[in-house]
Amino acid sequence: MNMQWMTIYKKECLESARNYKWVWVPLVFILFCIMDPLTTYYLPQILESTGGLPEGAVFDIPTPPAANVFMMSISQINTLGVLVITLITMGTIAGERKSGVAELILVKPVSYTAYVTAKWAAHVTLVLLSIFVGLIASWYYVQLLFGDVSFMYALITAAFYSLYIILVISISLFMNTWTKIPGVVLFLTISIILVLNLITSIFSHLLEWSPTTITSHLPALLRSGEVGQDLWMAALITILLIISLLFGAIQTLKRREIV
Amino acid sequence: MLLTQNVIDFMNENLAIIAPLLIIQLVLMITALVSLIRAETTKGPKWIWALIIIFFNTIGPIVYFIFGRSHES
Repeated sequence: MNMQWMTIYKKECLESARNYKWVWVPLVFILFCIMDPLTTYYLPQILESTGGLPEGAVFDIPTPPAANVFMMSISQINTLGVLVITLITMGTIAGERKSGVAELILVKPVSYTAYVTAKWAAHVTLVLLSIFVGLIASWYYVQLLFGDVSFMYALITAAFYSLYIILVISISLFMNTWTKIPGVVLFLTISIILVLNLITSIFSHLLEWSPTTITSHLPALLRSGEVGQDLWMAALITILLIISLLFGAIQTLKRREIV
Repeated sequence: MLLTQNVIDFMNENLAIIAPLLIIQLVLMITALVSLIRAETTKGPKWIWALIIIFFNTIGPIVYFIFGRSHES
């Protein structure tokens, strides 16, 4: 079981290397993360050069606090980053089932659990590495251009945010076992995330520990370094959801492939 | 003329800040081009992908990596 798991995990990582994913995904996340700190810093010059202001107008743009600028990078990952994550995971199982590779692998005595969790782990490794590299780059620019943000607190913030991102990967993997069409996986995953956000904001008094609330706790965490009880609970719920999604994905795949 | 002078001044003052951004964009573009050249087949003509990668900064390489490569594994 363990040998098998490592083999699939290594195969996935090797494939990511062949597709240049180990190069381009981290680079793209660095770009997403440093875009906002840079444009915020150069905003006065950008406004001046586009000439939107009348002659002699003095327009004071207040410099945002350093912690807010770091949070801009996280919200960039929350939109563009989540889209890229879903795009690179949408075909991981669905595509292999469509092309018949999955049948080839699963004909051998490979357990479904190993197949799903190793694939999941390979994607989690790649994406988390990219996010950490990106956020460290963002922290560096924030430190350089805006002011002090504790590196330790930034790391803790990134760690809690990672849980939400792992959930996104898990939703995508789960959807991979439901349909063989990658585009449908993309659509379903994004829809679920949007609906989850919507429901959480409508029933905010009932769903205090919804996974999407993790992001709203992060600014306070970044400033104080203290993990509040609500954040712990949201993190716990997120972990439970991730485990259920993986379990669900394994069960669905079993039922589909045996038929 | 005045504008180019301004741009040059601006770059001289801010090169240390902007250089990493430019380098990352360049590396991304080169990686995409290397991948394109080494790929046996792509979805759509190669020369169009080359233009997209070169002229659409950041977005071009991403779109190529996600949609351009045909799965030959």
